Amino acid sequence: MSFEKQLNIIDYSLSSIWRRRVKSMGVMVVFAAVIFLLASFQMTTKALTNVARDTLVSAPEITVQKMRAGRQESIPVAYQTELVSIRGIKTITPRIWGYYFHETKGANLTILGLDPQSMPFGQDLGQAIDSGRLPNEHEAVLGQGAYAYLSSPGSAMFSLFRPDLTLKALTVSGTFKASTDLLTYDTLFMSLADAQDLFLMPEGMVTDLCVTVANPTEVPTISKKIAALLPDTRVVTRQQIQKTYQAVFGWRSGFASICLLTALASFIIFAWDKASGLTPEEKKEISILKIIGWQTSDVLALRFWEGLIVSTVSFLVGYTLAYVHVAFFEAGLFRPILIGWSVLHPALRLLPTIDLGETLLVLCLTVVPYLAATVIPAWRSAIIPADSALN
Amino acid sequence: MFLNSWSVALSLLSLVVLILSAIAARTAISVLRYWDPASDSNRQIRLENETWLSSTLVQYAMGFQVLSLILFVLAADNFSKVISGAMCATGSLTANQYGMFVLFVKMLGAFCCGFWIVLHFLDISSERYPLLKTKYVALMCLLPLLLVDIVCQTLYIANLKPDIITSCCAVVFGEGGGNDGNLLGSMPQGLLLEVFYGTALLLAILGHFLYRRLNRLLLWLNGLVWLAFIGVSFVAITTVFSSYVYAMPYHHCPFCILKPEYHYIGFAIYGTMLPAGFFGLAAALVGVIPARYGLAEVVRRFQKKAVLWSSILLTLFVIVVSYHYVLYRFVGGEGS
Amino acid sequence: MTAPLIELEKVCKTYNQGQLNEVKALHDVSLAIEPGVMVCLQGASGSGKSTLLSIIGCVFPPTSGRAAIAGKQLARMPDRFLTIHRRNTIGFIFQHFNILPGLTVLENITLPLMPLGIAPRARKERAERLMGMLSISHRANFPARQISGGELQRVAIARALINDPPIILADEPTAHLDHTLSLAFMEIMQELQRAGKTIILTSHDALITQHPAVERIIAIQDGEIHVP
Ligand SMILES: Nc1ncnc2c1ncn2[C@@H]1O[C@H](COP(=O)(O)OP(=O)(O)OP(=O)(O)O)[C@@H](O)[C@H]1O
Ligand SMILES: [Mg+2]
Repeated sequence: MSFEKQLNIIDYSLSSIWRRRVKSMGVMVVFAAVIFLLASFQMTTKALTNVARDTLVSAPEITVQKMRAGRQESIPVAYQTELVSIRGIKTITPRIWGYYFHETKGANLTILGLDPQSMPFGQDLGQAIDSGRLPNEHEAVLGQGAYAYLSSPGSAMFSLFRPDLTLKALTVSGTFKASTDLLTYDTLFMSLADAQDLFLMPEGMVTDLCVTVANPTEVPTISKKIAALLPDTRVVTRQQIQKTYQAVFGWRSGFASICLLTALASFIIFAWDKASGLTPEEKKEISILKIIGWQTSDVLALRFWEGLIVSTVSFLVGYTLAYVHVAFFEAGLFRPILIGWSVLHPALRLLPTIDLGETLLVLCLTVVPYLAATVIPAWRSAIIPADSALN
Repeated sequence: MFLNSWSVALSLLSLVVLILSAIAARTAISVLRYWDPASDSNRQIRLENETWLSSTLVQYAMGFQVLSLILFVLAADNFSKVISGAMCATGSLTANQYGMFVLFVKMLGAFCCGFWIVLHFLDISSERYPLLKTKYVALMCLLPLLLVDIVCQTLYIANLKPDIITSCCAVVFGEGGGNDGNLLGSMPQGLLLEVFYGTALLLAILGHFLYRRLNRLLLWLNGLVWLAFIGVSFVAITTVFSSYVYAMPYHHCPFCILKPEYHYIGFAIYGTMLPAGFFGLAAALVGVIPARYGLAEVVRRFQKKAVLWSSILLTLFVIVVSYHYVLYRFVGGEGS
Repeated sequence: MTAPLIELEKVCKTYNQGQLNEVKALHDVSLAIEPGVMVCLQGASGSGKSTLLSIIGCVFPPTSGRAAIAGKQLARMPDRFLTIHRRNTIGFIFQHFNILPGLTVLENITLPLMPLGIAPRARKERAERLMGMLSISHRANFPARQISGGELQRVAIARALINDPPIILADEPTAHLDHTLSLAFMEIMQELQRAGKTIILTSHDALITQHPAVERIIAIQDGEIHVP
């Protein structure tokens, strides 16, 4: 019986929303916009972390960097001889990882220099290459963005300035796949010797040493041993890089949620206002319902269902639009804030995933405050006395 | 670690619950002081109206509290991606001393809101509103619990330290993966399962008898057994059933079963177990309402319904929770 | 003599009790009404007719005194139980009909059945029977704002009858109707009375007070029953 009653009340609340369609549409449009903003942000963050996680899979398990005065400096390749004694280390690969500022284009490029042959994950890098092959002497593999900046029609050659302003010429030997854009978009991948030459680094010096480990569960122990053997270095694990990405994205989205909460707050005030400003007709309607046998609790239920229907519709609309925005328009509104670690913005395709947790999160941030804000106005309308229908 | 959407959402949710119940409790004060059913004064009429407000608020608060419970577990799983040494929700919930406590308080809060609503519906079924004062005293007691909830949750979030690369010291690395630890030490599986299924069977039998003939003593026994069963179920899910869901013998986590990888089976498991326990306990608890309140008939009807529901949900729970285990044990293979 | 259906004993109603704007709308009203009669409450504006009708109609309980309506004591009954009793025993017809203009005729008529948990089909069946009886079936799906005054009145009557209550209350039902419509209204009321309903009207309209079907007139003055 009670179930049937609720069905009837839902029936009535649908017709009531329809009868006040202008007012309800106003609330729904604003609400859907707030939900759209929050959900877009959440989905962008989530999609970016997923991309970062996927691309980091090929990162070395341990990276060793030399520190001086709290800052990173070049590390001698010779350090690797010290590490050979540690059991469990599979390979040690010297790497140069740096940035090159391209003045005419005003863009920051990432330079990655290592010997593909000596790399256990040269394979992985090979797979990331779309066309062409791994670089030989005086050759480089370019990310999609870097390629667009540096290549000139009809020529596979391009030149970069060394710090002493002499020119270094390189040949394009291939490009990276678009799917790895988040990490390779602005990247130039070349041999260790070429990178050393480009940055004019002294012979035998690199930026870091990449260590791979036979048994992944030994990563913490091996890191500790490395740190003990080379006290002037910083040892970073892949898991840590992952967590850092996650934390940074988390901060950004948390910060954004707080900013968007102000949008939500103004919406709540707007909703409160709409819900509590009862017109004489609405008051009349409630008093008629009550005198012909509706309980105060029935009117409360009516208002609850109205709120739930309005927020469900707004949620579905806002969430769907957010998905479209992130998946098909590449989150055009937010990408600059969320990525922004290079002037070149990867034009990568974001694939938002819809999972219950994220959905519930957005729901809690939007629908819950809305429902909570409408309780008191709902109650105010529900306690209109029945006898006012008589006057 | 407040600068994270999950922390923001959790804090917002708890704040909303607290505000709603604080407004409800404000009514409680005036009801306890001025309620006079014989009067026709405007104040009495206003109070009668306010009782509707407070009961509605508690119903909303309960809904939000349940949401907050779910969100808390999901948030913990998300935090594990950021904080040091945690691989899943167990890791982040045990990352500081508040996590598990908050989880418990949230569950208790949802249960208490539920009991209050039961009390409310029993009360308004009599023209005399005999439980009115009791109800509002209970409401005042609910408030500190929700306060503890939000304070401890805030402490929990504040004490979560994200594991990020810093440049200030030579060596920075987390404790590394794999030290999530198990929530509970290892236990003899066979014995545990015997206790679990034994208790379930006992509850089914008790439920059957109670449904046919309510008996006060038996109801209390039923309630106590339910209390024990909730505990046993948690232990059994953690140490036995979950690893069959994951098809990984060394992964004992009662929370990962809520994840999409496992088809959200955890929601079905907890969504049957906790309401079943709620009804089992509620049936016993309403028994303390003295006969002189003239509610005997409604109480009896409620108890019957509660016993019926707890038995139905118990059956569903046992089926869902045993599914992967039975599949693995008797059909063989990994299960689906 | 049958037992009274409505029995008031020293009923008082005070609005805003204990406040500066306190109004004693009814004072020591005692009366008994047997089932199956048609009664008219008569009195000047502000004399307390509507207030008395509200107490008989279980809209609010009396401030003091005893009121037994259809076998139930209303004294200080909470609103929730008054409402339950009201929807089972009372059908209201209002001065302005109080029909919701945005809803269709059918929806308006079935409105009292919604909180009873009656399914749409059963609701429609009941309404159709009544609409047939009152010959407004052809208007069933019209929005209420589009139909004429006479039809509106019959919609109001149908809504009052939908739950088959033993008592029909009408507060100034003919105040806004012309002569023919008022006569038609009284005819329907007479028929309902023959069908066993107890009907209580308030009016200062001579057409009602002098109508042959009205068996009893209760005069009210300043919140008290006036015995001439
Ligand atoms: N809700 C109310 N609050 C305060 N005073 C009221 C209220 N309703 C009615 N009154 C007062 O109670 C007295 C009786 O009112 P009531 O409406 O019963 O008169 P009535 O006989 O129906 O008058 P009318 O013919 O104008 O409808 C009036 O003085 C009126 O001002
Ligand atoms: Mg009047």
